[in-house]
Amino acid sequence: MNIPLHMYLPIAGNSVNIAAILGLGGAVGLLSGIFGVGGGFLMTPLLIMLGIPPTVAAASDSNQIVGASTSGTLAHFRLGNVDFKMGLLLLVGGVAGGSVGVRIIKLLRAMGNADFLINVTYVLMLGLVGGYMFFESLQALRAPRAGAASKPAPTGESLYERCIRSMPWQTDFPRSGVRLSLLMPLGLGALVGVLAAIMGVGGGFIMVPVMVYLLRMPMHVVVGTSLFQILFTCVNVTVMQSVENHTVDFILALLLLIGSSVGAQVGTRIGKKLQGDQLKILLATLVLAVMGKMLFDLLARPDVLLAYAGGH
Amino acid sequence: MRRTHPLHIITGLLLCLCLLAATARADDGGVALAVKPGDIVIGTSYTGTTLHFSGEAPRGSAIVARFTGASGDLALRQKGKAFGLLWMNMGTVHLHDVPSVYLVTSSRPLADIGGTGLGLDAVRAGVKQEDGAAAQGADVLDVPAELVRLKQHDGLYREGVGGITVTDDGAFSAELDIPSRMSPGTYTVDVFALRDGQVVGSTSVPVRAELVGTPAWLAHMAFDRGLLYGVLATLVAILAGLAVGLVFQSKGAH
Repeated sequence: MNIPLHMYLPIAGNSVNIAAILGLGGAVGLLSGIFGVGGGFLMTPLLIMLGIPPTVAAASDSNQIVGASTSGTLAHFRLGNVDFKMGLLLLVGGVAGGSVGVRIIKLLRAMGNADFLINVTYVLMLGLVGGYMFFESLQALRAPRAGAASKPAPTGESLYERCIRSMPWQTDFPRSGVRLSLLMPLGLGALVGVLAAIMGVGGGFIMVPVMVYLLRMPMHVVVGTSLFQILFTCVNVTVMQSVENHTVDFILALLLLIGSSVGAQVGTRIGKKLQGDQLKILLATLVLAVMGKMLFDLLARPDVLLAYAGGH
Repeated sequence: MRRTHPLHIITGLLLCLCLLAATARADDGGVALAVKPGDIVIGTSYTGTTLHFSGEAPRGSAIVARFTGASGDLALRQKGKAFGLLWMNMGTVHLHDVPSVYLVTSSRPLADIGGTGLGLDAVRAGVKQEDGAAAQGADVLDVPAELVRLKQHDGLYREGVGGITVTDDGAFSAELDIPSRMSPGTYTVDVFALRDGQVVGSTSVPVRAELVGTPAWLAHMAFDRGLLYGVLATLVAILAGLAVGLVFQSKGAH
């Protein structure tokens, strides 16, 4: 049998090496299974490097994430790591926040200099989130392991906790083992939705720290719940892109998702073997690396001073 | 997507035949040209192709072969320095008359045969930039030159020497590599014969690139039935994700 090494992608308008796309999907799926992020911030630039137009790369990636997050959610669900109640509330908030974010970005574009704000927000967010997670988990890892139950008590926590407790509509989230106001996941979901829409990303890397530090959910439940939520976000994006922009390349997405759904399963297994703090510090390193790359792109003179419109 | 009516192909073919007949005698300054394959067929396994063409040109002339796509408008983001520090998109430039593809090869370097006007210099000179839309600091950027560099990066613009053999009696054969990054549409192959810095003959043949098989069907679905396509794409993704998940469950079960 003659197995073709290359395949022509009708929407992207280019042919790609099948093995490269499968490998790329597998690697990003692995990260997605371990950390509960969609991986769009890695996938899209790599696809562009392989000769896929930016708009097609972003849209096909969200189609691909649908498959990877289905696979990942299923794996985490079996491990008891998906808090459906929390996930749905975050999702409702996220959808509302997303539509507000789209309005904001239109407004910013009309005012000009939107790209500057987006880039600076992006780098600052990545730096803050990555840096905080890195040092927090480093401390936790270094601290003598007196007992699993011992909790660090950073200053200011009491104020934050008093605020949370004074909010109305307190409910139990048994899966995550926390008691919070319904407004918390709704509001934070909306906040992440706004930021994700402005930055043009899925928001997994902001959502994960928000769930860990502000909703106080255990890391493993965070990963499963984040994947569950990303699944819905990406279904929405895929259908919207197909209808409005015709930029979803199904062949590309299918190749990617074969790789990534396998990767997500393997990633879940790897994640199970790691401690919460180890997971956090690895994700923090990844986020800081992405920030470093973005900062470099902003500071170094590009090869070509023109770029095709579209993409991030 | 533009579809050419079958009648146009027939007209085109007839025209080619007439041209061939009219220029069979190469000595009167014309150029005869035949291109193989006549159409670029883009199927699932398409990874670019090579066009072969042959013909006759006036004795002792150098040959320039050119493959061009339709010219159109193009909007590009222009990068610049914000606050003298950060490189980012600073504005959009709107360009007109930008060829989608421009590949040129010649039997001798274009500069030596006085044919620079047929190469990428022609693109740089021919591209029109819309005024007033440029951002601050745009006056220092040579937009057409940057456009050519961008397209060269993608393999869509190319200027080179070679791939052409010319015999003493003026017969030539040439081959031109067509990149994998091709969209369906009508393209043009031009052949110019140059002698003493002058174009002494030229001819052109249209070449169609069309999608066939699965790519054609998918493109039709994506562009004409967007909603159905999007819903199907998500459903297949979910099913594939579930299937992989279930396979792993049965493998992992003890």
